[in-house]
Amino acid sequence: MSTATIALLGQPNSGKSTLFNALTGLKQHVGNWPGKTVEKKEGSFARNGVTYDVADLPGSYSMSANSDEEVITRDFITSGKADVVCILADSSQLERSLFMLADYAGIDAPCFLVLNMEDVAKDQGKTVDVALLEKKLGIPVMMFSATDTKAYDQFYFTLERALKEKSHINVSELEKEYEKIIGYNEIKEQIKGGNISGYTPMWLTVKYLENDKVVSAKLKESLPADAASKIESIGLDANGAIATGECKFKWIDELLEGAVNKTKTGVKLGKLDRIYTHRFWGKPAVVLTVILGLLGSFIPALPIMAVASIFDVLKNVIGDALVSVGCPAFVTGLVCDVVIQSFSYIVKMLGFVFGVTLVFGMLEEVGVMARISYVFDNTMGKLGLQGKSVMPFLVSFGCTMGGAAGARVIDNWGQKVLTIALAWAVPCGAAWAIIPMLSTVFFGAGAPLIIVVLLLVMILHMWITAKIFGRTLVKTEDRCGMIMELPPYHKPKWGALFRYVFGRTKDTFFRVVKVVLIVCLIFYILSYGSGVNDTSILYKVGTAIEPVTKIFGLPWQLFIAFVASSVGKEGAVGVISALYAGGSYGEGFMAAMSGAARAANLNELLLANVSRPEALAFIFAITFNLPCVVALAATYQEIHSVKWTAKIAIYYTVGALILACLAYHVGLMIW
Amino acid sequence: MKKLLELLKDGNSRTPEELARELETTRDDVLRQMDFLEHAGVIRKVPFMNESNGCSTCASCSGCEGGCAAECKGCVPQNAKMNMGTMWEVV
Repeated sequence: MSTATIALLGQPNSGKSTLFNALTGLKQHVGNWPGKTVEKKEGSFARNGVTYDVADLPGSYSMSANSDEEVITRDFITSGKADVVCILADSSQLERSLFMLADYAGIDAPCFLVLNMEDVAKDQGKTVDVALLEKKLGIPVMMFSATDTKAYDQFYFTLERALKEKSHINVSELEKEYEKIIGYNEIKEQIKGGNISGYTPMWLTVKYLENDKVVSAKLKESLPADAASKIESIGLDANGAIATGECKFKWIDELLEGAVNKTKTGVKLGKLDRIYTHRFWGKPAVVLTVILGLLGSFIPALPIMAVASIFDVLKNVIGDALVSVGCPAFVTGLVCDVVIQSFSYIVKMLGFVFGVTLVFGMLEEVGVMARISYVFDNTMGKLGLQGKSVMPFLVSFGCTMGGAAGARVIDNWGQKVLTIALAWAVPCGAAWAIIPMLSTVFFGAGAPLIIVVLLLVMILHMWITAKIFGRTLVKTEDRCGMIMELPPYHKPKWGALFRYVFGRTKDTFFRVVKVVLIVCLIFYILSYGSGVNDTSILYKVGTAIEPVTKIFGLPWQLFIAFVASSVGKEGAVGVISALYAGGSYGEGFMAAMSGAARAANLNELLLANVSRPEALAFIFAITFNLPCVVALAATYQEIHSVKWTAKIAIYYTVGALILACLAYHVGLMIW
Repeated sequence: MKKLLELLKDGNSRTPEELARELETTRDDVLRQMDFLEHAGVIRKVPFMNESNGCSTCASCSGCEGGCAAECKGCVPQNAKMNMGTMWEVV
């Protein structure tokens, strides 16, 4: 009984494994290639009195020496261990997958070509003229579908034919292309003399031109000294691989010319993409999408807001009950103003976390977010940033820490610092929880408008920040364009989306509860002036600094809340909750606290004590304040510069106060 | 492929379709050129946060204590598939 060895060669996803399994069945064993962590699969089958050993070579893109897989593949084939090499290509995308064949051409081992995935090609309306390809290539070629058991007879037949014919690829047309490359002929002339088995001089020359280290070393060893020094003296193009690659593609195109018939499938852009990728309308369309998305996120948020009002009722009922049983005022306040009031706020905030996460999660799933980042990419360029910065920005909508960490993909230090500095301006998840909530409290139906204005100011803020810091950090020449493949639109997977949204809301809930309760408690105690409000330390300090804070349009309570928001934006809510609901604000409030007039809820109290311009100032101040201390730490961790971290932090604190001041004065003009 | 790289030098980002239009070729041709350039190490895919293990990328969850499954709050959840397409940059 005679034996023959077949090697299966193909790019990943060419269907090699399916073929291997179908051929060998259970007769296979898996190990490692000596000294490498690459999996070695071998098997065998018998047919017509011949035992065939099959080696499933590791999937690799080409025959270059870029990876262990490729080196193993190449060495195995050229060592002469295989009697025939079965080259697999994906017939649904021959232009791409025949590259392996083109790179193989010139290796001195018999081969045949299997065009796998015939079914997929058929579905695409492609037909391949196998006979013409055979004629051009000089090796057996067959259409195949590795998943179709009936196709294997043809496979065995072609295999036997290839073994008998010992067919080699006709490379004359390919070599004509190579000959156009400067230096090709000279190098080949020198290499001809050397004798390296398994390779033709053409193949060696091409790999030498491609700067293939393994081949270069081999040539140096085997060539006579004068030939080696001669080829070394021929200057190599650093982009040699690109030049030879172009030859290979050209050869593939000529090969397929007339051999592949496809019902023309020109890429047509969908209606939506025609708008998004439009030179002029792209940007307005994207801005409109974002605004609609934000407005849309109010819809799922509103029912949850309504649920939160239960807490207000609960607060009154429990408060009354506690007072009636003679509970001390401190405890009553603690239960009602710290715990219940905080929960009322937290639930309202969660409504927005839920809404925003849901709407933008959906936009992302559907594929719209990718278009948004694409449209803004060129704007990034004008800010001196890489297109990659889009991702840290998007992540920053969730959490600035994540954004700072995400900036790690940017290699250029200056661009990284600038990206993080700008990402700080993007309102994070905590801001998205607090701001809409406060806006609704103060401005009711006008809240969406406030959000839109904030978003526009954010863009302006980023632009100004980029101008201020950009000059010293980046040069626009540093930027190189990118290729962005937009994902196809698809329906959101609702299950996964809701799991994600609920998970996110739950995470936010636990984080926020902790911060808000602790901050609220601390400030409640600090401001609790044993019944007489103006004896509390906080009140004294607060009223003392108020003349200054008023410049920014912030009453002292709100200013302290602003300071607390530097620790974490959720903290601001805790402070407001404690200071306005707590036992130390104003005569009217004390009266309300004393029991009978408890009906007044915090929202009304806030409205009574904080004017709209002040509220606007506060909303601006916390939105554009530094995100939180953890983000500060994350920023330092990424940019490793105390100077720049401090610079950015101070810039944001000052900037937030300036914006608050502006908002306040604009507010005064309106109301 | 030289032309493709030349085009990217102007700093603008393009989709494969746009490249195909400017290079007067097909999208498939652009895709195979990208394939080639990627394997040759001339361009590379930009990793997304949740693709690079989700763990080491976030400052708040240092190291892999508790396994990489312990995702960090605020970051992209590990299993969330971002339908953000793919970006390639010139190395």
